[in-house]
Amino acid sequence: MSEMWINMGPQHPMTHGLWNLRVRIDGEMILDVDPEMGYLHRGIEKISEDRHYNEVITLMDRTCYVAGMAWEHLYIQAAEKALGITAPERAEWIRMMSEEFQRLASHIMWYAAFVQDLGLMSPFLYGMRDRDLILDLFQAYTGGRLTYEYMRVGGVRNDLPEGFPKQAREVLDWLEPRLVEYDRLCMGSDIFRSRCDGLGVLKESDCVRLGVTGPMLRSAGSKRDIRKDRPYSRYSQVEFDVATADAGDVTGRYLVRMEEMRQSIRIIRQTLDWLDHHPGPVIADHLPRWLGAPYAPVGREGYLLKRNYPKGVGLSAIEEPHGEACAYVVNEGGEHPYRVKFRSPVFANLSACSHYLVGYRVADIPPIMGSVDVCVGEVDR
Amino acid sequence: MAITTLWDVAYFMATALLGLVGRIIPPLAAPLGNVDLIWGLAALVFGAILLAASMINTIMLIWFERKMLGRFMDRRGAMHVGYAGLLQNFADGLKLFRKNTFKPRDADGLGFYAGPTAYLVTSLLMFGVLPVSTGWSDGSLPLSMLLALVIFSFAPLFIFISAWSSNNKYSLIGGMRSAAQMIAYEVPILLAVVAVVVVSGSFDLNTIVNEQRNFWFWTLPLTLAMIVFVTGMLAEMERIPFDLPEAEAELVEGWNTEYGGMLFAYFMLADYVRALAGSILIVLLFLGGWTLPSYVPAALTSFPLAGIFWLMLKTYLVFGVFVWIRAALPRVRTDQLLRIGWMRLIPLSLASVVIAAAFVLVKCVPVLGCVPSMGG
Amino acid sequence: MESNPEDIRAQLTAAGAVGVLAVEPFDGAAARVKFAPESAAALFQVFRDALGFTHLSTVGGIDWVTRYEVFYLLWSDATKRYVILSADLDAKTPHIETASPTWPSANWHEREAWELVGIHFDHHPDLRHLLMPDGYQFHPLQRAFKLHEPEELEVKVRHV
Repeated sequence: MSEMWINMGPQHPMTHGLWNLRVRIDGEMILDVDPEMGYLHRGIEKISEDRHYNEVITLMDRTCYVAGMAWEHLYIQAAEKALGITAPERAEWIRMMSEEFQRLASHIMWYAAFVQDLGLMSPFLYGMRDRDLILDLFQAYTGGRLTYEYMRVGGVRNDLPEGFPKQAREVLDWLEPRLVEYDRLCMGSDIFRSRCDGLGVLKESDCVRLGVTGPMLRSAGSKRDIRKDRPYSRYSQVEFDVATADAGDVTGRYLVRMEEMRQSIRIIRQTLDWLDHHPGPVIADHLPRWLGAPYAPVGREGYLLKRNYPKGVGLSAIEEPHGEACAYVVNEGGEHPYRVKFRSPVFANLSACSHYLVGYRVADIPPIMGSVDVCVGEVDR
Repeated sequence: MAITTLWDVAYFMATALLGLVGRIIPPLAAPLGNVDLIWGLAALVFGAILLAASMINTIMLIWFERKMLGRFMDRRGAMHVGYAGLLQNFADGLKLFRKNTFKPRDADGLGFYAGPTAYLVTSLLMFGVLPVSTGWSDGSLPLSMLLALVIFSFAPLFIFISAWSSNNKYSLIGGMRSAAQMIAYEVPILLAVVAVVVVSGSFDLNTIVNEQRNFWFWTLPLTLAMIVFVTGMLAEMERIPFDLPEAEAELVEGWNTEYGGMLFAYFMLADYVRALAGSILIVLLFLGGWTLPSYVPAALTSFPLAGIFWLMLKTYLVFGVFVWIRAALPRVRTDQLLRIGWMRLIPLSLASVVIAAAFVLVKCVPVLGCVPSMGG
Repeated sequence: MESNPEDIRAQLTAAGAVGVLAVEPFDGAAARVKFAPESAAALFQVFRDALGFTHLSTVGGIDWVTRYEVFYLLWSDATKRYVILSADLDAKTPHIETASPTWPSANWHEREAWELVGIHFDHHPDLRHLLMPDGYQFHPLQRAFKLHEPEELEVKVRHV
């Protein structure tokens, strides 16, 4: 067989979304890759310019459809900085808990999709089963399972319902042994190790050079984690470790994500303990009405009617499940943001793909791209 | 005449049918009593029963796999059509049957249509060779095992033809992988079979099965050969962990990417026909076929169609192991697969031949004792 | 992380950086450094090598109608802080030197900024459309691009 280009996507089981990876192959060897993006481009940054601040939150859930809470959190922080609003303490803790639950759900979803690419079907269904429990939790306090529209500029929409901490702890108690089970199914399998070890290697220096962040970067030995390096929300008040690995290969990314799930559980437990003992308001008083909260809390008083438009620029960065995400919100006075710019971690991770794909085999593409955890909604926005 | 085998059933049906016609139209009674005629009709009835039974068994095998996979995966599997989803696969087949069969514009028509058809037909041919119980083909096919293996190895040819004529890069890569894989695993399979032949002294599946009743620790000297054979069979059937030719994550559906409707159903069906035939082959070669060890009470083996019952029970158990493997293992990579085939299985199969030869020389196994008499 | 423009200013002076127009405090980053677009390439090198901002987080553009702004978000692993570089470009032909040689990760970010905002990056190795179809002639994130007006769109499909 001579060299040829094959299109992996936009409708291909490997892509897990709508994008196209053009691969030049010689037999089974990959000679060159050229990702084509844009199939899911919805112009979220443009639409945001036409929306009230709170209405952008709806778009954030759609930015990455498996990590909606994290994106809401990212945007809310930037918007609050741009508007000069601070959220109550309890709201910050609830946001942090939501983000960690989202990280758990996102990583479990990643695990399920990743092992299925390797041909392991049972863990896929185990993963989907366990992720459902977390979605149940989201449903219990936001009403949504995938698109939550929960956070608000100045707080969160509503407080946690009664009995939520108990339900959440039950889910965590169930998940902890499951994580051990996941690990045994993968790391205990020689075939899994032989498929993943030494695959898609990206060294730390290359990661930094190419803008690769998140579990991919940490699997190469770096300890960069925005939650630790530049604590936002209340991450400075909880204990957790940054998961790292050395090899920078697919196995390393797997190990990092597995450890991150354990750390997430640890963070959530501390957050739940804090929330048990600190009741209080979850949304700030005296919020201007023009923020446009479509589901403003009923019975809350003190909306200011006068239009006092502040000005400002908000920059926020969070450690999203996929890596470092940044939001840059320009507020030029007015009811809508003037410009919203998002930095998607997968966008950068994917842009480096020729560096970790070329030289491997066609059969290695699914595990490598699986280990990148591509979320196309986030790349195209 | 005691009805113990499928052939007896067919013969009985043919006799009864011709007798009935002779009773209704008396002048025809004498010519219809011709033994050759009865034999011929019995053969036709037998073929029809066999085809129907193998198809139904294949579909039941799919059901069995779905249910068992469901249990492994903490779910129920098909539940809605028929009791416990028993009729789900018939419904699926009906759906595929009603679908439009289309051909990509640039595909080669002859290969595109002939490939899946020939694949299914040659897979079904296996059941004409495999004896399912005593009295089925005794003496008539002294090389039945070789014939079975030959028919079994037709598959890569037709897969490659249909893959190539699909005019799709994924199909072509899948077809190439399939050919490489099947050729690589053909060798250890045949070598493992040599071990069986050495011990049994025959190429006839009937003799091989009957030998196994004589000494019940048959599998002991052949354990290594069985492991090699089962691994090779996994690759031949293209099941996880060796399902690279249709590795869906990278090759969409591999060599049957372009197929839809009934042609896809042919592939799907033929895959499971081969899985069924392969499982039966394993049972026949290593697990005693339709016989039970001689110390088992006779009552267990003397009821009508007992041979077929035990054979199918063992077959489903063997297939259950395959399903278990599918639920537990990830897929290997092409180069790893070929390395396993050429560098692990072939030495192992050669070793198994040596072990079998040593066993024939000594005819004894420590602790368990010696073989009274060897056939062949 | 506290905003610390004095520190950045001192380091820039020590490194002999030219083209820096202003170093302002910024919430969430060490500083916002305004610079002249002509000195971009040299300044990028200074920020990476002398100030240790090894990671380019993102590149974005803003259409201010009378001018364009391009901003770079940088991260330093050593000091664990962000810095924002920002340059004003003229409204007619907004262009600036590419950051790709300094930070290879700028490649896709600049492609995106080019096709969405319309800022041209000189000497970019691969300035093709990324999110929009090939041959797309509009820059959606410009203020002149109205959201609710349907536009004529001609898409050239590339056959492989």
